[in-house]
Amino acid sequence: MTDANPILKADDLSKRYEDGVLAVDHLNLSIYPGEVYCLLGANGAGKTTTINLFLNFIPPTTGTCYIKGIDVNKDPLEAKKHVAFVSENVMLYGNFTARQNLDFFAKLGGKTDLSKNDYYQVMRRVSLQEKAFDQRVKNFSKGMRQKLGISIAIIKDAPAILLDEPTSGLDPKAATEFLEIMAELKTEGKAILMSTHDIFRAKEIGDRVGIMKEGRLVMERTRQELQYEDLVKIYIDYMKSEPLAI
Amino acid sequence: MWKTIVKKEILENILSYRFPLFGLIAMVLIPLGMYVSQLDYAKRVRDHDEQVRLASEAASSLNIQDVMAGTVSIKGFRRPALLSVYTRGFEGTLPRYYEFTQEGTKPGESSSGEESILSVQGKVDFVFIVQMVLSLVALLFASDVIAGEKEAGTLRAMLSNRLPRDAILAGKIAGGYAALWAPFAGAFLVGLLLLVLGAFPVFGGDTPARILVVFLAASVFLLAYFTLGTMISASSSKTRTALVAILLVWAFFQLIMPKLSDMIAALVHPVRTETQVSLEKSLLAGSLGMETAKELGRQFDLIFGSAPKGTANDEKSPERIKWDALKAGIEQGAKERRAQQLGAIDETYRQQKRRQQNLAVNLSLVSPSAAFARLVADVCGTGELERTKYAEAVQAHARTLDGALFSKVKRTLMIHAGGGTSLGFSAEPVDFKALPQFKIAPASLADVFKANWKSLLSLLFWLVAPFAAAYIRFTKYDVR
Repeated sequence: MTDANPILKADDLSKRYEDGVLAVDHLNLSIYPGEVYCLLGANGAGKTTTINLFLNFIPPTTGTCYIKGIDVNKDPLEAKKHVAFVSENVMLYGNFTARQNLDFFAKLGGKTDLSKNDYYQVMRRVSLQEKAFDQRVKNFSKGMRQKLGISIAIIKDAPAILLDEPTSGLDPKAATEFLEIMAELKTEGKAILMSTHDIFRAKEIGDRVGIMKEGRLVMERTRQELQYEDLVKIYIDYMKSEPLAI
Repeated sequence: MWKTIVKKEILENILSYRFPLFGLIAMVLIPLGMYVSQLDYAKRVRDHDEQVRLASEAASSLNIQDVMAGTVSIKGFRRPALLSVYTRGFEGTLPRYYEFTQEGTKPGESSSGEESILSVQGKVDFVFIVQMVLSLVALLFASDVIAGEKEAGTLRAMLSNRLPRDAILAGKIAGGYAALWAPFAGAFLVGLLLLVLGAFPVFGGDTPARILVVFLAASVFLLAYFTLGTMISASSSKTRTALVAILLVWAFFQLIMPKLSDMIAALVHPVRTETQVSLEKSLLAGSLGMETAKELGRQFDLIFGSAPKGTANDEKSPERIKWDALKAGIEQGAKERRAQQLGAIDETYRQQKRRQQNLAVNLSLVSPSAAFARLVADVCGTGELERTKYAEAVQAHARTLDGALFSKVKRTLMIHAGGGTSLGFSAEPVDFKALPQFKIAPASLADVFKANWKSLLSLLFWLVAPFAAAYIRFTKYDVR
């Protein structure tokens, strides 16, 4: 896996906000095709800031983010061609139907020649109920919205996917379905960076798991290493440890 | 890519409650306003025609004795402006006519005397609806263009794609405005249709072109407000904050600035009232008349004091010949002095007034609303330009009538040394049927644009500046 070029790469990445808070501290991270990387950490650990840096929503203080080798800060538009994003609360246009939302975001993602059937296929793939395809999404449950969010990411067909706490608030069935889709995308060669609080699912889906604390990546384990270790214990130990000198 | 945003904006607006609500407001208010204005216009035209008929009947029975008696009053009427159905402008305050007499001109009553106290807020005509209602709707439509997307989180979703921010901004403005413009344009057309069905002469002369300019000006005005709202939205992180800012901006531009500009101008360049000026002119004219009468009396007494009785009536006597020449000289001198001194008062007043008005206009043009109202009022013949043209026409007609009528009769008042007075008349023949008709030279559209370059510039500024500011704000907008 490490022989290939990383799709997502953070190189000595730091972000200090205007109020002085160091949200990300010299982060180095590489995620390869067909790999799921789970970032664990408490609230404020820097997980979402890392994703925001990859999406160029905020500029880094130092360091560089690369998506498919493209410097995100230098050429954000080109870099964004190669990444799809699913947020915790998938935000959609409530008055649009599922298909209309999918159509809009697909076009933004550069897919301009898709048919109604293409949209239906993707929505079927994420197990969204057929009757919901042409319903307005304002009445969708969180699980349905999440599925639609994944549909948007799938239809963009980008090599990298960023997921910001995607299983938060999902019921166990919906979360399991979600992980199944992630596993499929992984087999298709997508590089997936997922920030989460969910230690159990991180262990289940992650090829590598990193723990962030006060902006630093304080621990990283591979799937193989985690077979012999208790991730919950590791996580709690790191959370309990002394604050880092920043 | 921006076309995708445009389509999405249009669709999103159409699917929201705002679109039918605004459509309803526009479809009710604009055609209703047009219909009421049309009825009002028809009534004013009937009144005008009746007054003209009565005045022309009175004029047809005039004779030289009336002129000698000083009871002649010729009225010059201003026909209500055809396109006052779009904006009343000065229509209600301009005198319906001017009276031309030997003593000068005086304005007749205006139609504002028949209006209720509520009309001081402005008549509910097309411009009022656009200025006061649709401008607010345009701002409200724009309030969540950026801040709303941020709050909903959809801005992050959009910006995670290969989408330049300027394309998002342009697409959102174009799409959002299209959703606003379509019901407005529909309502405008319905209003126009009502005019056509009411046999309103919309197809004569340059009227279609003027109506088109009114429509375009209103479209540009609404776009300026929509862009301004977008700029506020792009400067706010929450829609609620944007809404508060929008209401303040609207109140400032619509209610405060136009009135404040008049007040500031009056403080900076104070001008006497028209009544004060008129009183001063009357006093001066009376004083000059008295001086002339005394001088004539003194000269008359000097020439005819020692002459035999009846000499004054003998046109061939040397005294009479001398008197006629002297009298003509004194009267001519008095006329010139009067014209010069009264003219100087008028000119000073006009200059002061113009300076005050220029300042008020320049200050008011800070508001796009004032720029729009001024431009459209001039296009419709109810604005500043019409007022100026009316005043010029009155002055020109007064001069013409003076030459053709009033100067044909000379009334000579003399005050003698002993305090006695005498009044003499001389008259030349007058062809009453050939008296000139009062006419106001209409301002062409080219005149309107020339006179309104500042208004056009203001509207252009309010189109470009908020867009530029919105662009700058949005490129640095924190989407998190």
